[in-house]
Amino acid sequence: MAGRRKNWLESVLTGKGWQEQGPSGGNSAGGPDGGSPFEMMKPAVLGFILLIIAWGGFSSFYTVQPEERAVVKRFGQVIGITDPGLNFKIPFGIDQVQRVATERVLKQEFGFRTDQRQRASDGRTRYTGQGQPDESLMLTGDLNVIDVEWVVQYRIADPIKYLYAMREPERTLHDISESVMRRVVGNRIGSDVLTVGRVEISAAAREEIQSAMVRYDNGIHVITVELQDVVPPQRVQPAFNEVNEARQERERTINEATKRQNQSIPRAEGEALRIVSQAEGYASERVNRALGETSRFDAVLTEYRRAPEVTRSRLYLETLKDALPRAGAVYVMRDGQTAPLPLLNLGNQNAQKAADKKEKGQ
Amino acid sequence: MNKLLIAAVALLVIVFVGINAATVIDQSEQGIVVQFGEPVGEVITEPGLHWKTPFIQEVRRFDKRLLAWDGDVSQIPTLGREFVVVDTTARWRITDALQFLRSVRDETGARTRLDDIIDSVVRDIVSGTDLEEIVRSADWQVDIDALPEEEVSIDQADLKKPKKGRAKLEAEMLAAASQQMPDLGIELVDVRIKRINYIDSVRTQVENRMIAERQSIAERFRSEGQGRSQEILGEMDRKLRRIRSEADRKAQEIIGKADAEATRIYGESYGKDPEFYAFFETLASYKAIDENTTLLLDADSDFYRYLQSTRGR
Repeated sequence: MAGRRKNWLESVLTGKGWQEQGPSGGNSAGGPDGGSPFEMMKPAVLGFILLIIAWGGFSSFYTVQPEERAVVKRFGQVIGITDPGLNFKIPFGIDQVQRVATERVLKQEFGFRTDQRQRASDGRTRYTGQGQPDESLMLTGDLNVIDVEWVVQYRIADPIKYLYAMREPERTLHDISESVMRRVVGNRIGSDVLTVGRVEISAAAREEIQSAMVRYDNGIHVITVELQDVVPPQRVQPAFNEVNEARQERERTINEATKRQNQSIPRAEGEALRIVSQAEGYASERVNRALGETSRFDAVLTEYRRAPEVTRSRLYLETLKDALPRAGAVYVMRDGQTAPLPLLNLGNQNAQKAADKKEKGQ
Repeated sequence: MNKLLIAAVALLVIVFVGINAATVIDQSEQGIVVQFGEPVGEVITEPGLHWKTPFIQEVRRFDKRLLAWDGDVSQIPTLGREFVVVDTTARWRITDALQFLRSVRDETGARTRLDDIIDSVVRDIVSGTDLEEIVRSADWQVDIDALPEEEVSIDQADLKKPKKGRAKLEAEMLAAASQQMPDLGIELVDVRIKRINYIDSVRTQVENRMIAERQSIAERFRSEGQGRSQEILGEMDRKLRRIRSEADRKAQEIIGKADAEATRIYGESYGKDPEFYAFFETLASYKAIDENTTLLLDADSDFYRYLQSTRGR
């Protein structure tokens, strides 16, 4: 393309020179004084020749940047690749140079675009997700809709193939990436894509894109395919969040129940031990009391048997002597008597007290 | 002087004619020499400098490289009557430049023909196929056991392997479209489905379905939580009752044994003289007398008898 243009330029330039020459030549033929028209043209011709030399000079060398390789064509035919540095070529558009950045890692974004302007202003990378919905919306194997954003990183491995095997290799890379990603995502079910499938999807997509590039033989080497945001469609996202919340809630409910269980079971076990211990305590108390009481009884019985009558009376009287003063009231009953006869205590105070108590009691 | 002028003019004419006769074919091109509209000679595929008769011949150039074709987005109903938006892309190249020149003249003409042919092929194949056939591939495989827990409700019948799958359908598209390509001097390298999606109204429905699906899953999770919780609480209740009743049983056993032991001890001891025991125990009960107690003494009782006799003295 560029070659053709330069040829045309050349022909125009030469044509122009000839046209300039034409009319003046005619003048000289018809003019009275010969020689002078040519003399007049001399600076123009000189300037023209100088122009040609300058053009040739400037178009006979070129520089190639470190990350680039240059493809050199002679009369449109590729004759080789030159390395970075200063290089020379045949001028006048006979040799043409196309620089290709082979060492640079290039990137295509799908579903979003890095916002270059924003990055420049505050040093942070911003992304614009909006405006590319068709690029990232796709169908999963279970026929749900999913929003997948990804990046393809690639390098131009072979500049000659890159330039001459395909007309628009980058557009093709873009198209094929979209096609492949949709195939890979469509071959899995949605929840798989959202969760565990990411790594496999990236790997499979890279593999498949690369093999397409090899088939087209376009010199592009795909380095990686990286999945970015993989999310359900915007409208469905709250429902997905709800599922996550519900899962949390389920765990929480179960944990609460477990907590209650853990709280009450050991306590109940402790209480059980306490009840048993209390029972054991009661048991030993009961047995000991029995032992104590019976040994006392046995002792008394032994003595009683030595002098039963006396001991019996003594015990009886001793007890009553001890008990009667404490009793609130004592009545004596006789056979045939209807009302019980109160036994008046001789101590007034006591009697008064007893009477008061009786009233209170009633 | 005039000689010089003539020489200069002649030189310029030669240069002009030479330039017109020279033809540079680029690495990316192929060319056909055309004389008065009629192709002359072989197609030039070799890049470099070539010559033609100046002025009366011209060169038509065609790209030799692989070219991209991107069709219009079209709405097509599938076999299952879902309307989908399909965007296809294809790679092609001009293999027979002469035929190409005769049949379509240039790339614009070729693209128009490609639009027609590929669009109709895609339409035919998509409308005769179920959506899942286009979305899934031949190596489709879903491990039901490895599904995440929320997806266990998926109907297994919905996950059947496609009969053909995407790659095969694309191959069919390529084969069908390629049949007409030799007439155009074109070789189709591949036809691919770039994008396939629901039309907006269907997408809304699908999204609604997805929302409902998620909500039911969420509901299931919640009730699972409740159920599990109830189960745990029930288990807890069972354990509590067991623990408590066992403790009670043990306690009663212990108490019973102790009571029995005590009874045996009392029995052994008191059995030696039951009558004295009764007397002794009765006396012991008097010790509980206090000021709230009212005593009724029979006049014949021993105690009163001694009182009387004391009085009688």
